Amino acid sequence: MSEEKKQQVSRRQFLNYTLMGVGGFMAAGLLISPVRMAIDPVLKSTGAGDLANVGLSVDDITSEPQRIDWSIDQVDGWYESQVNRSAWVYRNDSDEIIAFSPICKHLGCVVSWEGSDQYPDEFFCPCHDGRYYKDGVNVPGTPPLAPLDEYEMEIKDGMLFLGDPKPHREA
Amino acid sequence: MFAMKWRKDDLEKYVQAKEYIDTILMPLIPFQLTNDEDIGKDAFQQEIMTIFANEIEQELSGRVLLIPSYFYLKDAEKAIEVERLNQWISETENQPFNHTILLTFDPSWRKHEKELEGDLLWLPGIQTGDIHSNEMQSVIRDQISQLSEIIRSYW
Ligand code: FES
Repeated sequence: MSEEKKQQVSRRQFLNYTLMGVGGFMAAGLLISPVRMAIDPVLKSTGAGDLANVGLSVDDITSEPQRIDWSIDQVDGWYESQVNRSAWVYRNDSDEIIAFSPICKHLGCVVSWEGSDQYPDEFFCPCHDGRYYKDGVNVPGTPPLAPLDEYEMEIKDGMLFLGDPKPHREA
Repeated sequence: MFAMKWRKDDLEKYVQAKEYIDTILMPLIPFQLTNDEDIGKDAFQQEIMTIFANEIEQELSGRVLLIPSYFYLKDAEKAIEVERLNQWISETENQPFNHTILLTFDPSWRKHEKELEGDLLWLPGIQTGDIHSNEMQSVIRDQISQLSEIIRSYW
Protein backbone atom coordinates (compact mmCIF):
# COMPACT_ATOMS: atom_id res chain seq x y z
CA MET A 1 0.00 0.00 0.00
CA SER A 2 2.57 2.51 1.13
CA GLU A 3 4.83 1.18 -1.57
CA GLU A 4 2.14 2.01 -4.13
CA LYS A 5 1.61 5.47 -2.69
CA LYS A 6 5.29 6.17 -2.87
CA GLN A 7 5.25 5.19 -6.47
CA GLN A 8 2.32 7.46 -7.19
CA VAL A 9 4.02 10.37 -5.58
CA SER A 10 7.15 9.77 -7.46
CA ARG A 11 5.19 9.55 -10.68
CA ARG A 12 3.52 12.86 -9.92
CA GLN A 13 6.87 14.33 -9.06
CA PHE A 14 8.21 13.02 -12.27
CA LEU A 15 5.37 14.68 -14.18
CA ASN A 16 5.99 17.90 -12.34
CA TYR A 17 9.62 17.85 -13.23
CA THR A 18 8.77 17.17 -16.81
CA LEU A 19 6.26 20.00 -16.97
CA MET A 20 8.70 22.36 -15.31
CA GLY A 21 11.25 21.23 -17.76
CA VAL A 22 8.99 22.15 -20.65
CA GLY A 23 8.08 25.48 -19.04
CA GLY A 24 11.71 26.27 -18.43
CA PHE A 25 12.53 25.40 -22.00
CA MET A 26 9.78 27.66 -23.28
CA ALA A 27 10.93 30.54 -21.12
CA ALA A 28 14.44 30.07 -22.38
CA GLY A 29 13.06 30.13 -25.90
CA LEU A 30 11.30 33.40 -25.21
CA LEU A 31 14.45 34.90 -23.78
CA ILE A 32 16.62 33.73 -26.58
CA SER A 33 14.53 34.57 -29.58
CA PRO A 34 14.79 38.39 -29.62
CA VAL A 35 18.56 38.11 -29.41
CA ARG A 36 18.65 35.60 -32.19
CA MET A 37 16.45 37.79 -34.31
CA ALA A 38 18.84 40.66 -33.83
CA ILE A 39 22.02 38.83 -34.68
CA ASP A 40 20.97 36.26 -37.21
CA PRO A 41 20.38 37.90 -40.57
CA VAL A 42 18.85 34.71 -41.97
CA LEU A 43 15.96 35.05 -39.58
CA LYS A 44 15.24 38.62 -40.53
CA SER A 45 12.15 38.65 -42.69
CA THR A 46 12.37 40.34 -46.03
CA GLY A 47 9.42 42.67 -45.91
CA ALA A 48 7.25 42.85 -48.98
CA GLY A 49 8.52 45.41 -51.42
CA ASP A 50 12.19 44.64 -50.82
CA LEU A 51 14.01 44.14 -54.06
CA ALA A 52 16.32 41.16 -54.40
CA ASN A 53 19.54 40.97 -56.35
CA VAL A 54 18.81 38.20 -58.82
CA GLY A 55 22.43 37.73 -59.86
CA LEU A 56 22.12 39.07 -63.38
CA SER A 57 24.25 41.86 -64.78
CA VAL A 58 22.35 44.25 -67.04
CA ASP A 59 25.10 43.81 -69.64
CA ASP A 60 23.98 40.21 -70.04
CA ILE A 61 20.41 41.12 -70.86
CA THR A 62 19.70 40.78 -74.57
CA SER A 63 16.61 40.93 -76.72
CA GLU A 64 16.19 37.17 -76.21
CA PRO A 65 14.15 36.44 -73.07
CA GLN A 66 16.12 34.41 -70.50
CA ARG A 67 14.83 32.68 -67.43
CA ILE A 68 16.22 33.81 -64.07
CA ASP A 69 15.63 31.92 -60.82
CA TRP A 70 16.23 33.23 -57.32
CA SER A 71 14.79 32.70 -53.87
CA ILE A 72 13.58 34.93 -51.08
CA ASP A 73 12.69 34.26 -47.45
CA GLN A 74 9.02 34.67 -46.85
CA VAL A 75 6.99 34.55 -43.67
CA ASP A 76 3.42 33.58 -44.35
CA GLY A 77 1.40 32.94 -41.21
CA TRP A 78 2.69 29.67 -39.78
CA TYR A 79 5.12 28.96 -42.49
CA GLU A 80 8.50 30.55 -42.78
CA SER A 81 9.99 29.38 -45.97
CA GLN A 82 12.23 29.99 -48.87
CA VAL A 83 10.19 30.86 -51.88
CA ASN A 84 11.58 30.32 -55.32
CA ARG A 85 10.85 32.96 -57.86
CA SER A 86 11.51 33.15 -61.57
CA ALA A 87 11.34 35.76 -64.26
CA TRP A 88 11.71 36.05 -68.01
CA VAL A 89 14.04 38.97 -68.63
CA TYR A 90 14.90 40.74 -71.88
CA ARG A 91 15.42 44.12 -73.52
CA ASN A 92 12.58 45.36 -75.71
CA ASP A 93 12.82 47.37 -78.94
CA SER A 94 12.96 50.66 -77.05
CA ASP A 95 15.91 49.28 -75.02
CA GLU A 96 13.90 48.99 -71.81
CA ILE A 97 14.53 46.02 -69.55
CA ILE A 98 11.42 43.91 -69.06
CA ALA A 99 10.98 41.20 -66.40
CA PHE A 100 7.84 39.13 -66.63
CA SER A 101 6.50 36.77 -64.03
CA PRO A 102 6.27 33.32 -65.64
CA ILE A 103 3.03 32.52 -63.82
CA CYS A 104 0.29 31.94 -66.35
CA LYS A 105 -2.73 34.20 -65.80
CA HIS A 106 -5.08 31.33 -66.51
CA LEU A 107 -4.46 28.89 -63.67
CA GLY A 108 -0.88 29.49 -62.69
CA CYS A 109 1.39 27.09 -64.55
CA VAL A 110 4.86 28.29 -65.48
CA VAL A 111 5.18 29.62 -69.02
CA SER A 112 8.28 29.32 -71.20
CA TRP A 113 9.63 31.53 -73.92
CA GLU A 114 9.19 29.60 -77.17
CA GLY A 115 7.89 26.69 -75.11
CA SER A 116 6.18 25.28 -78.18
CA ASP A 117 7.82 24.76 -81.57
CA GLN A 118 4.55 25.69 -83.18
CA TYR A 119 4.56 29.21 -81.75
CA PRO A 120 7.94 30.86 -82.12
CA ASP A 121 8.38 34.35 -80.63
CA GLU A 122 5.74 33.74 -77.98
CA PHE A 123 5.52 32.63 -74.37
CA PHE A 124 3.78 29.29 -74.12
CA CYS A 125 1.95 27.63 -71.24
CA PRO A 126 2.11 23.82 -71.34
CA CYS A 127 -0.99 23.28 -69.23
CA HIS A 128 -3.77 24.39 -71.57
CA ASP A 129 -1.81 25.87 -74.49
CA GLY A 130 -2.04 29.45 -73.22
CA ARG A 131 0.01 31.92 -75.29
CA TYR A 132 1.42 35.42 -74.85
CA TYR A 133 3.17 37.73 -77.31
CA LYS A 134 6.68 38.84 -76.54
CA ASP A 135 5.32 42.01 -74.90
CA GLY A 136 3.47 39.82 -72.40
CA VAL A 137 -0.01 40.41 -73.81
CA ASN A 138 -2.16 37.29 -73.92
CA VAL A 139 -3.01 35.93 -77.35
CA PRO A 140 -6.79 36.23 -77.80
CA GLY A 141 -8.57 32.93 -78.09
CA THR A 142 -6.18 31.12 -75.72
CA PRO A 143 -7.22 30.45 -72.10
CA PRO A 144 -5.43 33.33 -70.27
CA LEU A 145 -7.52 36.49 -70.06
CA ALA A 146 -4.83 38.91 -68.90
CA PRO A 147 -1.23 39.77 -69.78
CA LEU A 148 1.71 38.44 -67.76
CA ASP A 149 2.60 40.32 -64.57
CA GLU A 150 5.71 42.47 -64.54
CA TYR A 151 8.22 42.60 -61.70
CA GLU A 152 9.06 45.81 -59.91
CA MET A 153 12.62 46.50 -60.87
CA GLU A 154 15.66 48.53 -60.05
CA ILE A 155 19.20 48.62 -61.41
CA LYS A 156 21.96 49.07 -58.85
CA ASP A 157 25.65 48.96 -59.73
CA GLY A 158 24.85 47.33 -63.03
CA MET A 159 22.92 44.49 -61.40
CA LEU A 160 19.25 43.69 -61.80
CA PHE A 161 17.08 43.81 -58.65
CA LEU A 162 13.53 42.48 -58.74
CA GLY A 163 10.68 42.91 -56.27
CA ASP A 164 7.08 41.75 -56.39
CA PRO A 165 5.11 41.02 -59.54
CA LYS A 166 2.66 43.78 -60.46
CA PRO A 167 -0.02 43.88 -63.17
CA HIS A 168 1.29 44.42 -66.67
CA ARG A 169 1.61 48.10 -67.65
CA GLU A 170 -1.12 47.68 -70.26
CA ALA A 171 -3.52 45.87 -67.95
CA MET B 1 -0.07 32.87 -55.41
CA PHE B 2 -1.41 29.95 -57.41
CA ALA B 3 -1.10 26.49 -55.93
CA MET B 4 -2.91 23.17 -55.98
CA LYS B 5 -1.83 21.52 -52.75
CA TRP B 6 -3.91 19.64 -50.20
CA ARG B 7 -5.07 22.77 -48.40
CA LYS B 8 -8.48 24.35 -47.91
CA ASP B 9 -7.97 27.35 -50.16
CA ASP B 10 -6.42 25.32 -52.94
CA LEU B 11 -9.14 22.72 -52.86
CA GLU B 12 -11.86 25.35 -52.97
CA LYS B 13 -10.18 26.66 -56.09
CA TYR B 14 -9.93 23.11 -57.40
CA VAL B 15 -13.66 22.63 -57.14
CA GLN B 16 -14.21 25.78 -59.21
CA ALA B 17 -11.70 24.86 -61.89
CA LYS B 18 -11.82 21.09 -61.97
CA GLU B 19 -12.39 20.84 -65.71
CA TYR B 20 -8.84 22.13 -66.21
CA ILE B 21 -7.11 20.03 -63.58
CA ASP B 22 -6.84 16.53 -64.91
CA THR B 23 -3.68 15.16 -63.31
CA ILE B 24 -3.06 13.84 -59.81
CA LEU B 25 0.40 13.82 -58.32
CA MET B 26 0.85 11.31 -55.51
CA PRO B 27 4.22 10.78 -53.79
CA LEU B 28 4.86 7.24 -52.48
CA ILE B 29 6.86 7.36 -49.27
CA PRO B 30 8.32 4.37 -47.39
CA PHE B 31 8.58 4.38 -43.61
CA GLN B 32 10.65 2.21 -41.29
CA LEU B 33 12.01 2.40 -37.74
CA THR B 34 13.92 -0.88 -37.70
CA ASN B 35 17.19 -0.25 -39.28
CA ASP B 36 19.30 2.49 -37.65
CA GLU B 37 21.66 2.82 -40.57
CA ASP B 38 18.89 3.64 -43.01
CA ILE B 39 16.61 5.84 -40.91
CA GLY B 40 18.48 9.01 -41.76
CA LYS B 41 18.80 8.13 -45.39
CA ASP B 42 15.13 7.24 -45.69
CA ALA B 43 14.08 10.49 -44.06
CA PHE B 44 16.39 12.37 -46.38
CA GLN B 45 14.75 10.79 -49.39
CA GLN B 46 11.41 11.85 -48.06
CA GLU B 47 12.64 15.43 -47.68
CA ILE B 48 13.82 15.41 -51.27
CA MET B 49 10.55 13.88 -52.42
CA THR B 50 8.62 16.66 -50.70
CA ILE B 51 10.71 19.24 -52.51
CA PHE B 52 10.17 17.51 -55.84
CA ALA B 53 6.44 17.22 -55.34
CA ASN B 54 6.07 20.85 -54.30
CA GLU B 55 8.19 22.17 -57.13
CA ILE B 56 6.44 20.16 -59.82
CA GLU B 57 3.14 21.23 -58.40
CA GLN B 58 4.28 24.84 -58.68
CA GLU B 59 5.49 24.44 -62.24
CA LEU B 60 2.24 22.82 -63.39
CA SER B 61 -0.26 23.97 -60.78
CA GLY B 62 -2.97 24.86 -63.29
CA ARG B 63 -3.35 21.26 -64.29
CA VAL B 64 -1.97 19.16 -61.44
CA LEU B 65 -3.36 18.51 -57.97
CA LEU B 66 -0.89 17.35 -55.32
CA ILE B 67 -2.71 14.96 -52.99
CA PRO B 68 -1.53 13.55 -49.63
CA SER B 69 1.44 11.21 -49.83
CA TYR B 70 0.92 7.46 -49.76
CA PHE B 71 2.91 6.05 -46.82
CA TYR B 72 3.76 2.39 -46.44
CA LEU B 73 6.10 0.19 -44.44
CA LYS B 74 9.35 -0.16 -46.29
CA ASP B 75 9.37 -3.94 -46.34
CA ALA B 76 5.64 -4.53 -46.48
CA GLU B 77 4.34 -7.12 -48.91
CA LYS B 78 4.08 -5.17 -52.15
CA ALA B 79 1.19 -7.23 -53.49
CA ILE B 80 -0.97 -6.02 -50.60
CA GLU B 81 0.27 -2.47 -51.01
CA VAL B 82 -0.55 -2.53 -54.70
CA GLU B 83 -4.11 -3.39 -53.87
CA ARG B 84 -4.39 -0.65 -51.26
CA LEU B 85 -2.76 1.88 -53.54
CA ASN B 86 -5.15 1.00 -56.33
CA GLN B 87 -7.98 1.75 -53.94
CA TRP B 88 -6.57 5.23 -53.46
CA ILE B 89 -6.36 5.64 -57.18
CA SER B 90 -9.95 4.56 -57.70
CA GLU B 91 -10.96 7.12 -55.06
CA THR B 92 -9.50 9.83 -57.30
CA GLU B 93 -11.68 8.58 -60.11
CA ASN B 94 -14.66 10.14 -58.38
CA GLN B 95 -13.43 13.35 -59.95
CA PRO B 96 -12.65 13.99 -63.61
CA PHE B 97 -8.93 13.11 -63.58
CA ASN B 98 -7.28 11.55 -66.60
CA HIS B 99 -3.84 10.82 -65.15
CA THR B 100 -2.53 9.69 -61.78
CA ILE B 101 1.20 10.06 -61.46
CA LEU B 102 2.91 8.10 -58.71
CA LEU B 103 6.23 9.59 -57.75
CA THR B 104 8.76 7.33 -56.04
CA PHE B 105 12.41 6.66 -55.27
CA ASP B 106 11.68 3.07 -54.27
CA PRO B 107 12.76 0.67 -57.03
CA SER B 108 10.66 -2.19 -55.65
CA TRP B 109 7.51 -0.66 -57.14
CA ARG B 110 8.90 -1.13 -60.62
CA LYS B 111 8.29 -4.86 -60.50
CA HIS B 112 4.61 -4.13 -59.95
CA GLU B 113 4.30 -1.33 -62.44
CA LYS B 114 1.85 -3.21 -64.65
CA GLU B 115 -0.57 -3.93 -61.80
CA LEU B 116 -0.73 -0.26 -60.79
CA GLU B 117 -3.61 1.80 -62.06
CA GLY B 118 -1.50 4.94 -62.23
CA ASP B 119 1.64 5.96 -64.08
CA LEU B 120 4.72 5.15 -62.02
CA LEU B 121 7.46 7.74 -62.24
CA TRP B 122 10.50 6.21 -60.61
CA LEU B 123 13.50 8.42 -59.90
CA PRO B 124 16.94 7.25 -58.91
CA GLY B 125 17.25 8.53 -55.33
CA ILE B 126 19.71 11.17 -54.28
CA GLN B 127 21.62 9.27 -51.62
CA THR B 128 22.78 11.99 -49.31
CA GLY B 129 23.99 15.55 -49.23
CA ASP B 130 23.10 19.02 -48.09
CA ILE B 131 19.71 20.08 -49.40
CA HIS B 132 20.67 23.73 -49.10
CA SER B 133 23.95 23.50 -50.98
CA ASN B 134 24.14 25.08 -54.40
CA GLU B 135 25.13 21.84 -56.16
CA MET B 136 22.18 20.02 -54.67
CA GLN B 137 19.84 22.81 -55.66
CA SER B 138 20.98 22.72 -59.23
CA VAL B 139 20.72 18.90 -59.33
CA ILE B 140 17.20 19.14 -57.95
CA ARG B 141 16.22 21.90 -60.38
CA ASP B 142 17.51 19.86 -63.23
CA GLN B 143 15.59 16.77 -62.22
CA ILE B 144 12.44 18.82 -61.72
CA SER B 145 12.53 20.21 -65.22
CA GLN B 146 13.04 16.70 -66.60
CA LEU B 147 10.17 15.43 -64.50
CA SER B 148 7.75 18.08 -65.65
CA GLU B 149 8.84 17.31 -69.19
CA ILE B 150 7.88 13.66 -68.65
CA ILE B 151 4.56 14.59 -67.10
CA ARG B 152 3.78 16.84 -70.06
CA SER B 153 4.48 13.94 -72.38
CA TYR B 154 1.54 12.09 -70.78
CA TRP B 155 -0.80 14.95 -71.76
S1 FES C 1 -2.64 27.50 -66.77
FE1 FES C 1 -1.74 28.41 -68.51
S2 FES C 1 -3.17 27.98 -70.03
FE2 FES C 1 -4.10 27.14 -68.29
